Amino acid sequence: MFKISLTGSKSQPKSAPVQILEPLTPTAVIWQLLAFSLVVLPLLWHLPNWISVVAALAWFWRWGISQGRIGRPHWSLRLLLLVGIGLGVLLSFSRSTSLDAFAALLVLSLSLKLLEIQQRRDALVLLYVASFTLATAFLFEQSLVMGLYSLAVIWVWITALVSCWQSERPSHWTRPMRQGWRLFWPALPLMLLLFLLFPRIGPLWSVTLNTERAQTGLSDQMSPGEVSQLTRSAELAFRAVFAEDQVLPTPSQRYWRALVYSEFDGRSWTLGTPPAGLRTEWNALEEMEALSAPIDYEIMQERSGRLWMFALDLPQQATSESRWLPGRRLEALAPIDQRRQYRLSSVLEYRLAPQLSEALREYYLRLPPAANPRSRALAQGWWQAAEQDPQRFIQTLLDYFNQSFIYTLEPPRLPLNHAVDAFLLETQRGFCEHYAGASAWMLRSVGIPARVVAGYQGGEWNEAGRYFTLRQYDAHAWVEVWLEGEGWRRLDPTAAVAPERIEQTADLFFADEPSFMADAPLAGLGRGASRWMFALQRRYDAVNFQWHRWVLNYHEQQADFLRDLLGGVTPWRMILALLIPAAVLLFAVWLGLYQMRRAPRGDALERAQKRLFAKLARQGQRREAHESLAEFARRMAQVFPEQAPMWQSLATADERWRYAPDANRLDYKACLTALKQCIRRV
Amino acid sequence: MEEDVFTPAQLHGAVRQALEVLNQVLLGKAEQVELAVTCLLSRGHLLIEDLPGMGKTTLAHALAQVFGLQPTRIQFTSDLLPADILGVSVFEPGQGTFRFHPGPIFTQLLLADEINRTTPKTQSALLEAMEEGQVSLDGVSRPLPEPFFVIATQNPTHQLGTFPLPESQLDRFLMRITLGYPAAAAEREMLMRGGTRQETANLPVCLSARALQQVQKEVEQVHASASLVDYVQRLAQFTRDHASFSYGLSPRGALALLRAARSHAWLQGRKHLLPEDVQQIMTAVIGHRVRASEEASGLGSATGSSLSVARLMAQMKAQVDVLG
Repeated sequence: MFKISLTGSKSQPKSAPVQILEPLTPTAVIWQLLAFSLVVLPLLWHLPNWISVVAALAWFWRWGISQGRIGRPHWSLRLLLLVGIGLGVLLSFSRSTSLDAFAALLVLSLSLKLLEIQQRRDALVLLYVASFTLATAFLFEQSLVMGLYSLAVIWVWITALVSCWQSERPSHWTRPMRQGWRLFWPALPLMLLLFLLFPRIGPLWSVTLNTERAQTGLSDQMSPGEVSQLTRSAELAFRAVFAEDQVLPTPSQRYWRALVYSEFDGRSWTLGTPPAGLRTEWNALEEMEALSAPIDYEIMQERSGRLWMFALDLPQQATSESRWLPGRRLEALAPIDQRRQYRLSSVLEYRLAPQLSEALREYYLRLPPAANPRSRALAQGWWQAAEQDPQRFIQTLLDYFNQSFIYTLEPPRLPLNHAVDAFLLETQRGFCEHYAGASAWMLRSVGIPARVVAGYQGGEWNEAGRYFTLRQYDAHAWVEVWLEGEGWRRLDPTAAVAPERIEQTADLFFADEPSFMADAPLAGLGRGASRWMFALQRRYDAVNFQWHRWVLNYHEQQADFLRDLLGGVTPWRMILALLIPAAVLLFAVWLGLYQMRRAPRGDALERAQKRLFAKLARQGQRREAHESLAEFARRMAQVFPEQAPMWQSLATADERWRYAPDANRLDYKACLTALKQCIRRV
Repeated sequence: MEEDVFTPAQLHGAVRQALEVLNQVLLGKAEQVELAVTCLLSRGHLLIEDLPGMGKTTLAHALAQVFGLQPTRIQFTSDLLPADILGVSVFEPGQGTFRFHPGPIFTQLLLADEINRTTPKTQSALLEAMEEGQVSLDGVSRPLPEPFFVIATQNPTHQLGTFPLPESQLDRFLMRITLGYPAAAAEREMLMRGGTRQETANLPVCLSARALQQVQKEVEQVHASASLVDYVQRLAQFTRDHASFSYGLSPRGALALLRAARSHAWLQGRKHLLPEDVQQIMTAVIGHRVRASEEASGLGSATGSSLSVARLMAQMKAQVDVLG
């Protein structure tokens, strides 16, 4: 066993070999229980409830054992429990063999092991498995809070390890924390160094979490009611970071493009597959003419499990890990299974595909022939009235929406057949997908090419981090209409119905609607509650964002960082860069420990104790020569019963510093503090 | 092998129990009993000095019994010879060789009764064996058993027919204690019970000899901090500098002080020494190693009467500052 001794190990005789089968002290049991609960807690949130119940039962059982209230489980019962949890895991996770099942198995076996701990060996098994379990918690949650929490748990873990190697019951159960801390902090700089410099190796095998849960977000088809479902969630979709020198898009320019729906089957809009003859043309990148200076920004996209990426209307270039798809949208080469960061540049004023071939124009006009006859007739009427001028037709359409339509999160259900008819002529209440879908329908039915674009609109600006936060409730759908000579132009009928929705952020606009963020009650709390809570939430979001950007995604910056630092990355430079700082750090830590171990010059303590003796002597309390400070303090505790705790603590501190085997600078300070307190209060 | 390994807590509990049993036998002598056990745990030999009939032999027998040691008793008389203690090689005519017949000293606990009634020659034979832990006879060294513990009793030197032990030999004993008359209440209870020797043979065995050795190992690991060592050094220095002592404590005496204090601290359940430990065992450890000067003792008695030693020790305790 490698043991760091902080006290003069030379002066101590060699200690007897520590027995691994020795029973644990009550203090060690407390620390095992504490370490267990802290390690398991973050995992329980992500696992089925019955596992929490098992863990809690095991905890209380072990607690009962340590209190002497319950007996240890008989081996037959333990065997039964083992079979029970095995079956439970099989039943709970029979449908997916994801990592959740293994995490559950870890937590459950830890719980059973907890029941067994009795000797040092058992505690070691528990702790080593617990350290592994703690790491698995990062599979589910990687926030800053979780990171800090884990650090704290590691401290507790080390303390538990320390406590189970102590065969003597310490003076107070928190006592091992100090030893734990002394082992913990010297590791911190080393951790930082390894984090910064240690080369990242790609995973040897990839594991998938249960991704079903992660898939709130847009989908590859759009039917009425689907986008409004998203507004129930405040889950983060992505962030867009703008450097200081970049011009920010105005609220009405903040359209984040993700998907382009080109085909309509009477009810749903889908991405579409054109007939075979059209493929080449369809797949060719639509030409874009930039009319304004490009804006550079960075997107940090949350895990979606899908391929599509987000870009401000309209992206200029694809990144190395993405490709263009029809409709000038970007798609990743592999599903976004973890948070991804990419740089893009976009142009806000543009002309997109001013030339559209006859065949493609036909394709963008396709409609199911028999559907929605009434709205088709309505469109024909307007088209005549507008003298077949697309601009005037569009104006008529927007005016029509502006008259009596209501923009709402809870639109009435539409019939399966002739849904557009029902929406336009009867219910007249809808969310953005209703308006976008109906507009595209109307445009197509009079021969104006149109398609529906889905993505996000708006976003909350965070000044501290200089980024926009786009959440699921910012999901939006709008229309692109192709006009002769102008190309594809954005047309947002929602802006006609509810212009404030575009000018404000979604959360402000919908704040009063009951179903808005219905699935995220806590996120809504900060809104109405108070201004400072709102500010606090933003500040936290900014910090968390930096955490994601610089810590969790550090591997993306590491190459640049290393190149700047070392001037070229070669194996030798890497080795030196790791070894030299590590050696320096270890030396510094050793020096710090050495300093701590060295007895400080006792001047201050001696002066203080003389002052105390003099002060007490004036009150008739003289210290006898044979009394140590501790003994004298104990006597004073009897002389001044009302101050007994203070004197007792002085006695303890003095005994520790002057006579205990592992006394160090901290004990010296504790003793001095206790002395000074006594001097003040005598 | 494994069942012989005990936890520190188990060992401490067993020794504490042994102390309780001993106190049942020797009523009202808790301090002396504790000193005797302390001495045993420090691998030291014990000298009990008192008048006949004060319970010296009872204490020795009870100690042997509760610590599971094999006891042997030698009654020292003026005509006892070294061979009577150490053993003798006898010529065996059949084989034509000498065979060694071990003496009573080959035992775990030797009770040397009235050691000062024998001649210095016999005394030194015993004392050398105590120091070396082995017996050398006819050019062959024979180790004594482990543990080996001698309790010697002696009558006060002013009694008739005694050969006082010289200082060099007194030094071999880690402690010297006196039992003294029992307190009234304790004596009354003892008289009521009848107090027979038979009693000691029926005492429970609290500790095996192997466990005792383990305790002795643990005791050696009790931590003595720098401040405490300084204090012990100041005590030793005091005996050398102060006029009340005719001669001071030897370095071996100072070591003995630390050694005995360690097992006292262990008995209190501590793993480090405190000044109290040293003060508690000081008289027993130093008392027979120093001598009061003529003017201090007033009487000029040999090896200092217990009265003058007690006074010296009280003086030393009061004048040597724990804090330096």
